[in-house]
Amino acid sequence: MKRYRKLKTVLIYLGLCLIAILTLFPLFYAVASSLRSDTEIFQYAMPFTLRTLLPVRPTGNAYREIFLKYEFYRPVFNTVVVSAAAILFGCLINSVAAYGFACYEFRFQKPLYALVLFSFMIPFESITIPLYTVVDGLGWVDTFAGIVVPSIADGLVLFLFTQFFSDFPQSLFEAARVDGATWADSFFRILVPLSVPVFITASLMIFMTHWNSYLWPLLIARSPDVRLIQVALSDFRGAHTTEWSNLYAASTVSALLPLLLFFPFQKYFVQGITSSGIKG
Amino acid sequence: MKARRIGRTVLPYILITPAIVLIVYFKIYPICNTFLDSLTYDGSLSLGNFSTLFGDKYFWDSLLVTVKFNLILTPLQIFLALLVSLLVNADVRGIGAFRTIFYLPATMSTAVAAIIWNTMLNPNSGVINSLLGMLQIPPQPFLTSSSQAIYCIMLITTWIGVGYWMMFLLAGLKNVDRAVYESARVDGAGWLTITLKITIPMIRRTLAFVLIADTTINLLMFAPMQIITSGGPQRSTAVLMYEAYKSYFLYVDKGRGDAIVAVLLLIIAFVCAVQFLLINDRGEKPGKAGKGGAGCEKV
Repeated sequence: MKRYRKLKTVLIYLGLCLIAILTLFPLFYAVASSLRSDTEIFQYAMPFTLRTLLPVRPTGNAYREIFLKYEFYRPVFNTVVVSAAAILFGCLINSVAAYGFACYEFRFQKPLYALVLFSFMIPFESITIPLYTVVDGLGWVDTFAGIVVPSIADGLVLFLFTQFFSDFPQSLFEAARVDGATWADSFFRILVPLSVPVFITASLMIFMTHWNSYLWPLLIARSPDVRLIQVALSDFRGAHTTEWSNLYAASTVSALLPLLLFFPFQKYFVQGITSSGIKG
Repeated sequence: MKARRIGRTVLPYILITPAIVLIVYFKIYPICNTFLDSLTYDGSLSLGNFSTLFGDKYFWDSLLVTVKFNLILTPLQIFLALLVSLLVNADVRGIGAFRTIFYLPATMSTAVAAIIWNTMLNPNSGVINSLLGMLQIPPQPFLTSSSQAIYCIMLITTWIGVGYWMMFLLAGLKNVDRAVYESARVDGAGWLTITLKITIPMIRRTLAFVLIADTTINLLMFAPMQIITSGGPQRSTAVLMYEAYKSYFLYVDKGRGDAIVAVLLLIIAFVCAVQFLLINDRGEKPGKAGKGGAGCEKV
C-alpha cells in the first residue's frame, strides 16, 4: 500500500512536470530568442542542438531597436494611460452603482439589476463591431475616450462590488446616518476603506482587459497617436516579418507587465476569475 | 442581494444612473441597432441582407469552419483543463507553484500567443520543425497549409485556454467535500469510478459555466485568424467573426456585416440556452453544488 502511494506521487509529479514544460517552453523560447540576433536565430535553427534554444552571444539589441528605432514606448505609454483611466472611472462608477444596489431598496431595483447581469452575459467581442458604429457616430474614432468610455460600466465589476458590499451590516451605515453623515461620507469614509480587496480585484480585472485587448483597439484606435500595445505588436509583425528577435522582444514586453502583476496579486486574480464563474 | 432600507428618496437612482446609462448605451443599444440594421435593406424593412448572405457560398464555408473549430476545440480544451485541474487538486508538495505555472499563459493576450507561436511554427526556421527533425519527422507546413492551419490555431488557443479554465474547475473541485471521496474509497471505488461517478457530477455547475463561457469565447475567436492567417490559406481559417470584420472594414459592406453579426449573436444565444437546459435539467438538486461553487444559479 505504501509503495503504491509512492508510485502515485511519482506519477503525479511526472504529469505535472510534463505539463509545466509544455506550458513554459514557448515563453522560455520567446525570451531567449529576444536576447539574440536574427542571424544567430536562423543560423542555428536546423538541425536541432542546444544552440537552437540558447543564445550564443546574448545581446539586448532587439530591445534597443524596438524602443528607439520603432518607438515601441508610445503604445506602451498609451496603454498605461488608457488602463489607468479605465481603472479610475471603472472603479468609481461601478462601485457607486453597486453601493446603490447593495445598500438601498427602490422600485425597479430587480429589473435594473437583471439588466446589469444580462449585460455581462453578452461577450464583449460579440458587440465590438456593432459598438464601432455607435462610437463612430459620437466622433470618437481614434480618441482615448473611444477606447475607454464604452468599457467603463462593466456588469461583472458591478456584480463583484455588489456581492462584496451586501455583506456589510446595515447598522454600520445607520450609525453614520444618525451622526448626520451623507451617502458620500459613508461611502468614501466607511465602505471604501473596508473594501480594499475587492477594489484590487476589480482594478486587476480592468487592467488585464485593457492591456490584453486586441479587437476593440484594432477597430477604434488605428492612428499611431492612440495605438495600444497589442495592436502595435501585430502591426509590427505585419511590417517586419523577418525581424524575429525584435518580434520576440516586443512580445516579451507585451507579456511582461501582466505577468509581473500576476505574481504579487495572484490571490486577487484567482478571486476575480472564480467570482466571474458565479456570474450568470 | 440583501437590500435593507426602503428609500423614498431619489438617491439610489442617482447612484446607479451613470452605470445604467453607460450599459444601455454601449452594450444593449448596439445589439438592438445591429438587429434593426440587419433587417434594413435599401432603406426598408426586409430580409434582403439575409437572403443575400444565405445565397453566398463563402458564408456557408465560413459557418462550417466556425462549427468545426468549435466542435473540436471546446471539448478538447475542457477535457484537458479537467485533467489538469484533477492533477493540481492533488495534495503534494509544491503544487501551488505548478498551479501558478499552468495559469501563466492565461495572463497573456491572444495576440502575443499568436505571434510567438507563429514564428515557432514557421515551416523553414521554426523551432517546432527543428524539434520534429530531431525525432526524424519531416518538416511540416503548419500555418501555411490549408489542411493544418486551423489545427495550429486550435493548438495555440489550447495553450492559452487550458490554464485559464483549469482555475475555474479547480475552484469547483475545492468545494467538493473530501469526505465524499473517502467514503467512496472505503467502498472500494477506483480513481476512474470516483472521477466519473462522483467528482464530475459534483462539479456539474462549474462545468456548465466553463462549457458556456468557453464556447462563446471560441465562437468569437478572432485575433489568431486576423494576425497570422488572414482567414487563409484558401479560406480554411475564415471563421464568421473574421468574415464579419472583413465585411465591415475591408469590403465596406455593412449590410453583410450586420447580417453575419446577427447570425453570430443568435448562435451564441442558442448555444447558451441549449447547454443551459441540458445541464440544468439532469436531476438537479439545488443546494448540492456546494457553497459559492461557480455555476449559473443566478440566471
